[in-house]
Amino acid sequence: MSTINFAAREINFKLVYYGPGLSGKTTNLKQIHAHVPVESKGEMVSLQTEDERTLFFDFLPLDLGKVNGFKTRFHLYTVPGQVFYNASRRLILRGVDGVVFVADSAPNRLRANAESLRNLRENLAEHGLSLGDLPYVIQVNKRDLLDALPVEMIRAVLDPDGVSPLFEAVAQQHVGVIEPLKAVSKLVLEKLAQRA
Amino acid sequence: MLEPSLDLYGEAAERVEGLLVDLLTQSRARYALLIDRQGFVILHRRAAWAPKPPSLDSLATLIASNHSANEAIAQLFGEASFRETVQQSDGVGTYVESVGDKALLVTVFDASAPLGKVKLFTKRTLERIQAVLDETREAAPVADIGGSFSAHAGALLDELFGDGKAP
Repeated sequence: MSTINFAAREINFKLVYYGPGLSGKTTNLKQIHAHVPVESKGEMVSLQTEDERTLFFDFLPLDLGKVNGFKTRFHLYTVPGQVFYNASRRLILRGVDGVVFVADSAPNRLRANAESLRNLRENLAEHGLSLGDLPYVIQVNKRDLLDALPVEMIRAVLDPDGVSPLFEAVAQQHVGVIEPLKAVSKLVLEKLAQRA
Repeated sequence: MLEPSLDLYGEAAERVEGLLVDLLTQSRARYALLIDRQGFVILHRRAAWAPKPPSLDSLATLIASNHSANEAIAQLFGEASFRETVQQSDGVGTYVESVGDKALLVTVFDASAPLGKVKLFTKRTLERIQAVLDETREAAPVADIGGSFSAHAGALLDELFGDGKAP
């Protein structure tokens, strides 16, 4: 839920990168952090295990500037993808405004993609939310894999009705990283305008 | 939906800022923050003598997330939450109290501030903040948040990200 802070004249939005383990959620945030101008970003915080897997979340604040007198900011989070960290994923979704689902193109991760999406729906339901009501885009990552599955096959599993914006990406090379972020941010703003 | 993180505007916000300053003076703590449970800073104050704080966004996010995790632990044992959350290292400590169900009061202190004093004055400040919030009858200001806001913000997104590629 977007929040307005009249005391500090700020409006804040929360975006969450969701997806199976090792699909590239943290890589997305690292790439955004590396490419956004210094004046538009804060510190990136990563809570990782010793082997650099996300333990709790990664966090990156982006500052859009002043809009109608309000400092407008997007807070970007990732969730830990590993199956056993579900309690953490549920906590991170609290107050979410938009979701980027990061899918893995590897053939042996198709089932993990589907499981993660099912888990996202369940965890959103715990917060009284549903994916259909939430600004949501899909990023199909690792398109540079030699055996990458066809995008149509991945979409058929994750979005059979073809209603969600979908972006192909090679996040490690900063390809297809900004587009889904921009798209989900605009969907969040559109939703705000509709409800105002 | 756009909701205030806390019903705190105008004069009430100024009074709460004054309470945070009093808390710092009385407890000799470094920083006092009022943050919402999603990790956004609502108000903050720094003691005149205190060093520059770390990134407040990072601090607020980590404290709010930690608080949520602690609540989840308490719930595993059938409790709603832990009564208080204290963290102390050799050099610095944090003390966190809930402000209703939407916000947290965070006091950051160093070795020169006795924990007992920090707890005492934080609890007193919490009661006073709660009283201010209960008394507040001021109508929420009207923010120009609608189509024009979204269009302007969308234009800033285009400026920041261009045609999708990072600058």
